[in-house]
Amino acid sequence: MTGTPDLIVEARDVELRYGSYIAISASSFQVPKVGVVSVIGPNGSGKSTLLSALAGLVPVATGQLRVLGQQPEVARTRMSYVMQATPVPRVTPITVREVVGLGRMAKLGMFGRFRRADRAAVESAMARMQITDLAGRHMHELSGGQRQRVLIAQGMVQEHDLLVLDEPLTGLDLNSAATIDELIHEQRADGCTVILTTHDLDEARAADWVILVSGRVVASGPPAVVCTRRNLEVAYGLGSMHDWEGFLDDPAHDTHLH
Amino acid sequence: MIEWFAEPFALGFQQRALLGGILAGLMCSVVGTWLVLRGMSFFGDAFTHGVVPGIAAAVAFSFNPLLGAAVAAAVMLVLIEVVNRNSRLSEDTAIGLLFVGMLALGVVIISKVDSYTGSLTSILFGNALGVTRSDLTWQLALGAIVILASLVLYRPLLALAFNEDKAELLGLHPRMAHTALLILIATAVIGSFQAVGTLLVFGLLVGPPATAALIARTVPRMMLGAALLSVFSVWLGLVLSYHLGTAASATMAIIPVMLFFLVLPISKRVHARRQARDNVPVAGSTAQVPA
Repeated sequence: MTGTPDLIVEARDVELRYGSYIAISASSFQVPKVGVVSVIGPNGSGKSTLLSALAGLVPVATGQLRVLGQQPEVARTRMSYVMQATPVPRVTPITVREVVGLGRMAKLGMFGRFRRADRAAVESAMARMQITDLAGRHMHELSGGQRQRVLIAQGMVQEHDLLVLDEPLTGLDLNSAATIDELIHEQRADGCTVILTTHDLDEARAADWVILVSGRVVASGPPAVVCTRRNLEVAYGLGSMHDWEGFLDDPAHDTHLH
Repeated sequence: MIEWFAEPFALGFQQRALLGGILAGLMCSVVGTWLVLRGMSFFGDAFTHGVVPGIAAAVAFSFNPLLGAAVAAAVMLVLIEVVNRNSRLSEDTAIGLLFVGMLALGVVIISKVDSYTGSLTSILFGNALGVTRSDLTWQLALGAIVILASLVLYRPLLALAFNEDKAELLGLHPRMAHTALLILIATAVIGSFQAVGTLLVFGLLVGPPATAALIARTVPRMMLGAALLSVFSVWLGLVLSYHLGTAASATMAIIPVMLFFLVLPISKRVHARRQARDNVPVAGSTAQVPA
């Protein structure tokens, strides 16, 4: 399969596995060049696995997957993937400024010189995420929301055409959530595609494209086509839509409580 | 007073002991920093035992102990990988098996040698005062390799100590960095055992970096702190061993551990003050609504 460059994602019969466990069974879908793509689905439905596969961290078991028209491992250099609550060992003495600076290493590699432009990129991303005053702190000295802003700043300094965010807004304080939400809209306005997972159906409806996942890709398309009652019932199970007020609540799913 | 400090280093063999110890301390601090950050102490400890059969064979059949140690380290690395790939046992079980197996093999080999006890003691606990010029040349070469490689691999190792998946995403080859680190640990052990003994190398590998980790806010500072602490430990250890008549290598190895327990309460107090000043949130509290 030759990748089509104007498609962000092109999947043909893609199956994703962890050992013998099938996280996503054979699914085909496409995502055109749009601003914001929301990935929704219940817990354990394979959302994170799908994002990890897009970033080339989870190998494709069968089928073919192209991201930005290339193999995921190749496309990785043009994307920035902010994982869900990246665990950082407490013992590692690494400051917020260094964590953000690590993002530049994607471009600089092992030996590239860290120049003034790189320093400026780091400072600007920290200012944008309102973490400049935390620059000398360690990750374990931050709140969940602050940590998430640091990790997103790290993703921002990586040069990218595609920004992939795994549950960027789950369990955050209002200030952090608002800052990250604004950033997503800015990225979209700058012509960058943002793929994110969410539990908020209103947020999904506000996106340009929605991928509904439940052990497979149930539907992929514009929100009006995907977020139908029928599709959501298929993904979340019959009965889950009673008393539905737009938020597919997942109280146990606060991943930042580490 | 000055004499008290100078006297232990008046003679050539004493100066060589100091130089050998310092070289061992420097390479161990740099590698030990990554070992402590990666939580690989058990691996490091196993390595210090794992090289014993190679050195024992070198003593028994009269060839270069460095070569013997290198071969033993390579065998150990390969066998750990074999267990990892062919069984569902965790890595620490594989390390544990090789740890005891290699040590026992070393003792079996050396027990065939006439001067059994003397040779074994000197392998395990070092013979700091017996360091020769040729030993120092080897140490210098291995030390240079270890320190240079640690600097070259700084970014991949830092990314690996941050998060393995993120390191992969940044294209910083975490698996390569991990393997390189194993080889560097082995090299540091091989380059240091003649000065401080295979078992006591571990004191220099873990003690100074662990102590530095209590106070340092960045990895380069942790390395620098560990290097200073190890040089101080080696010097003080030799001074004390001379005046107290204790075993030189063991006295050198015990100092960094004592320093750790001295620094621990101080670092706790400093952290508490820092937390109060910065209003650092208690770990785990996430849902903060801004005032």
